[in-house]
Amino acid sequence: MSTGLGTLLLADARLPVGGHTYSAGLEPALLDGLPVERIPAYIEARMRTVGLAEAAASVLAYRAVGGAFVPGRIEAGPEGLGVDADALADVHEALLARSPSAPLREISGLLGRGLVRLADRLWPEHPAVKALRTLGRAPQRPIALGVVAAVMGSEEAEVARVSLYDDAQTVASAALKLAPVDPVDAAGWVLGAEGVISSVVAEALAVEGIDDLPARTAPQIEGWSLEHQVKTRRIFVA
Amino acid sequence: MPEQTEGNATTGTRRAMRLGVAGPVGTGKSTLIATLCRELADELSMAVVTNDIYTDEDARLLRAAGVLPIERIHAVETGACPHTAIRDDVTPNLLAVEDLEAEFAPLDLVVVESGGDNLTATFSPALADAQIFCLDVAGGGDVARKGGPGIERADLLVVNKTDLAPHVGVDAEQMVTDAKASRGGLPVLALSQHDEVSIKALAGWVHQVLADYRSGTHVPRDPGPMAPHSHADGTTHTHEGGEDGHEHA
Repeated sequence: MSTGLGTLLLADARLPVGGHTYSAGLEPALLDGLPVERIPAYIEARMRTVGLAEAAASVLAYRAVGGAFVPGRIEAGPEGLGVDADALADVHEALLARSPSAPLREISGLLGRGLVRLADRLWPEHPAVKALRTLGRAPQRPIALGVVAAVMGSEEAEVARVSLYDDAQTVASAALKLAPVDPVDAAGWVLGAEGVISSVVAEALAVEGIDDLPARTAPQIEGWSLEHQVKTRRIFVA
Repeated sequence: MPEQTEGNATTGTRRAMRLGVAGPVGTGKSTLIATLCRELADELSMAVVTNDIYTDEDARLLRAAGVLPIERIHAVETGACPHTAIRDDVTPNLLAVEDLEAEFAPLDLVVVESGGDNLTATFSPALADAQIFCLDVAGGGDVARKGGPGIERADLLVVNKTDLAPHVGVDAEQMVTDAKASRGGLPVLALSQHDEVSIKALAGWVHQVLADYRSGTHVPRDPGPMAPHSHADGTTHTHEGGEDGHEHA
């Protein structure tokens, strides 16, 4: 089956949801001495930790609003059958509980607001968007991503893949602003992450509910985020 | 809930007017905004969003100036993309504006300061209801004549630091004349921090635009990015605010 335009839009940095202000933690990492040649390893570390937790949460959010057409899962359609606002709220809470850094919760909320703004403008009456709105004005990005992907008709594997790709590409793109990196090399880093992304997508799809939602975090990245929050000289908010 | 996009008496809603201030780095945007706060904050409920390229220097300058309570000044990091943040993806700035509007409701005026960028960067009407483009005499007397979307079509063009003109070998009056010639009747203001009359004129302009905005007679215009251009049939025109529906091959 071909990838729909909605999925491509979600993977496109030109989607106006504020992604250009975010480095996925790369700015504080480089400031603390991470060598440029270790950026691919940094990307992989994110994929296997926060990347998995977020991708799995996106998939659960997608399922909670009836996005899944996968046989054996909730039957749903574009009219919003199967939208379960309570289940969506549970996923949101579960993700928050797995996000120990306050500044990272904050930036995730800002990116989530960007997606809410998009959804509010394009599908103000959609039941899934209404359910998203019950989470307050700044839901975490993975939750908003799962809902928007469901509304746009993505498949659930695409939701997980987009979540991880966006994270990897955010790091690679931010590197171009922060270090003397050839953009072609940065594109190569993202492609080089394909193996780990595919395996993490499989892990994310295997998650059945909030009880087995992975709680993997990267303590060093959390620590860097706390340092970055109080810096006065910075290009990216986080 | 659906975003509130209208804000004038016609529709009965009352959101603050959003005033963008753009222009190259070092032309005096932050000082101009500090001046606006000093002149207007007694009469109007105001807030400011700054877009620094690398620091929160502009926000700190404004906070240090003591012209507005510091909690009414938000700094937005633009990821080294100051032009993106006011044009292609205004989301971070809109969120900051909305936060200020929610926190200090009702606001009359929110000023958004662009990170200093080049001559082609202008605000999207999705972010700014009106915009000031700021040049200064020290940037060179020929800049106004060279033109660009902000110079030609911003709601107000400020030629700043006119008191420096003799020291940098620029004829400020000529610069204003050149600017007026390229603006088709839109206003140009020669501004100096040492010229109280010019400061009052600046404050007066903001009051007038705000009054027009509230009465529904102010229409946000998009200054850029397209320059006037000609077609094979010999017609010449500009594209403003999407009102021109023709297609380009």
